[in-house]
Amino acid sequence: MPPDQPTGYLIVSAVLFTIGVVGVLVRRNPLIMFMSIELMLNAVNLSFMTFAHYLDSVEGWIFVFLVLTVAAAEVVVGLAIIVSIFRTRHNVDVDELDSMKG
Amino acid sequence: MQVFDLTLLVLLLPLLGFLILGSLRLFGWHEQHEAISWIGCGTIALAFISALISFVSLTNAATQAHDTVFWNWVASGKLTINFGLRLDPLSSVMLLVITGVGLLIHIYSVGYMHNDPGYWRYFSFLNFFIFAMVLLVSADNYLFLLIGWALVGLASYLLIGFWYERPSAVAAAKKAFVVNVIGDFGLMLAIFLLYGKFGSLGYSPILFSDPNGTIAAPSVFGVNDPTLLAITLLLFVACATKSAQLPLHVWLPDAMEGPTPVSALIHAATMVTAGVYLVARSANLYNQAPIALWVIAGIGGLTAIFAASIALVQNDIKRILAYSTISQLGYMFIAEGAGNYSAGIFHLTTHAYFKALLFMCAGAVIHALGGEQDIRKMGGLRGRLKWSYWTFIVGGLALAGIVPFAGFWSKDAILGSLLQRGIAAGGSLWYLVLYGVGLATAILTGFYVFRLIFVVFHGTYRGGEALPQPEGQANARTRKPRRPANPLAQVHEAPWIMLVPMLALAVLSTTGWIYGAPWFDALGQFLAPIFGVGFNPASFALQGWTLWISFGISLLAGLIGIGIAALMYLRRTPSLQPMSNIFYKTLLNKYWVDEVYDWVLVKPIVGMGRLTGRVLEDGAFDGGSRGLAWLVGKTSVGLRAMQTGYVRNYVLILLVGAILILLYYVARP
Repeated sequence: MPPDQPTGYLIVSAVLFTIGVVGVLVRRNPLIMFMSIELMLNAVNLSFMTFAHYLDSVEGWIFVFLVLTVAAAEVVVGLAIIVSIFRTRHNVDVDELDSMKG
Repeated sequence: MQVFDLTLLVLLLPLLGFLILGSLRLFGWHEQHEAISWIGCGTIALAFISALISFVSLTNAATQAHDTVFWNWVASGKLTINFGLRLDPLSSVMLLVITGVGLLIHIYSVGYMHNDPGYWRYFSFLNFFIFAMVLLVSADNYLFLLIGWALVGLASYLLIGFWYERPSAVAAAKKAFVVNVIGDFGLMLAIFLLYGKFGSLGYSPILFSDPNGTIAAPSVFGVNDPTLLAITLLLFVACATKSAQLPLHVWLPDAMEGPTPVSALIHAATMVTAGVYLVARSANLYNQAPIALWVIAGIGGLTAIFAASIALVQNDIKRILAYSTISQLGYMFIAEGAGNYSAGIFHLTTHAYFKALLFMCAGAVIHALGGEQDIRKMGGLRGRLKWSYWTFIVGGLALAGIVPFAGFWSKDAILGSLLQRGIAAGGSLWYLVLYGVGLATAILTGFYVFRLIFVVFHGTYRGGEALPQPEGQANARTRKPRRPANPLAQVHEAPWIMLVPMLALAVLSTTGWIYGAPWFDALGQFLAPIFGVGFNPASFALQGWTLWISFGISLLAGLIGIGIAALMYLRRTPSLQPMSNIFYKTLLNKYWVDEVYDWVLVKPIVGMGRLTGRVLEDGAFDGGSRGLAWLVGKTSVGLRAMQTGYVRNYVLILLVGAILILLYYVARP
């Protein structure tokens, strides 16, 4: 049985999200950055589920499904872009991908 | 007898000719001058025959008008506009003049324009003009009249600017078009008012009670109704523009830039009489608006003497005739303003004969001298140009109003009716004033036309070596260099194809008065039903000895003018030096009307255009858009610095934004 209060779940969710943000900010490998993004998404999913359960509402479930779908699509596109960048430049360090600089 | 109405044929034949001739260039057949002449003249000849048949059958028919509706052009709610043609006494007479004089001028043009590279273009325009003019006079409602009205303006524009490589011709064409639009606008406003009042534009509810009849429609206006006055005066604005009356006459003298046969047809015989036609056509409206008739008579009288006085001192052979045309149109408006519409139409027909004749003779002279139009460089031509000389004399006598030529009878019909109105019981001084103006104009007319004849045909030739090259006049390009021994050796009479129409018009100018003679005014009786209730041409006629006195006075006026001209110019060396007195300068500069218009209208408008061009266009419009572009550019340069290209920067900004939003919600009370 889950506990009476959602505090624990929300703390886990916030920790996961923060790890994800820091990961995106500090890592230069796009694959790791992707993983961090996934971490953030799933942290949000966790909080959604928590609220869905404790507020006895079905919207949270629906959003989780949406987020999962979008995350899958995003990963597909993102990985394809990364692969194609690697093929043309043999390097995927994001700090060197600055040709769109103003 | 049934009316044999061929008006549609009269309308469509010139249109067919125009379409064929106008498309010749597409097939590369525009050099086939003989075929073009046959098509151009042939369609007009057939149209003339159709008009003649219609006219004869109408004179013998029981009904006095015949209206045929061909199709319903606009049907929208209460508004119904039909395309219909009306054959009645007035339109049939106009059709005869248009197609008859038009045919003679087409034939004349074959000779006059024979070497012109734009031969096909010329004839297609000329046919187009006849089509438009026929539409104008035979339409059975005011809207199609307006369409014809505008189309003749277009034809006039095209033909004035026919030699479009001459800047002066282009300027003259533009001027004619712009001035004529004033008239078109007046006509349009009048039509709106008519529609508002009658709910229809057809002649039959507005002017006649029955489409096939000539019974005047009952009046729907009160006494001195301002709407009626507005309608009639706006119609007269249109008439004054088309018929070159003061103060809108300025386009006609410049219109002489066109080929001379065009001047004869459009700017003397037919198109400029459209205004006279419109007033006569709307007689039923004008009869109810005496103020409008006073205005018409006043403007007509003023124009007659004004234009005649300018013609006294001009030196361009065609301009003299142009001012003469304006003056004679003034006579027609005097007649109509006095209520004697049939005399106005009578003078319209005789004027068409003799003025077309005079222009043709002038064309023959110009043709013979290779494009020279300045009468000071002519002289002594009567030996070489016998036929032109004698036909010119006929036209001149008719214009000056010398018995028995046509102009005498029609001019006397006008002057006599003014005299009759003035001396009749309850007559007004106003008519006697107009009579005086008419007589003074008659003296001036005799003077200027015989000055022209004496200077051009008598004396000695003054051209000599100074004969200038024609400016772009194509039919003169083949002229050989002149030999100095006999300066007139190269001057030759016009070919027979030009002489035949001249002779035909000379015959008409001599005999074309018979149908309007004061004793049995056949034309007046024929037209009378058109001009409204109670119009009786006989009521204008002088009776007994007063008629003979009126004849005598008119004749004397013409003879005095001719006599003064003979005294001044029939000497061995006529004085052609410009005089220095103020009257001469005023007349030579045409009372400075053009200059006044230039200062009052043209210069301010051009100046305003320049000003808006500089201030509004450069400053506000261009400045605004240029400033906006500058602003956007500068802002972009600043904003561009934000695009560092480092993904992590973007994420950081995103994060900061998200935190700020979060803080906002947290901190919100």
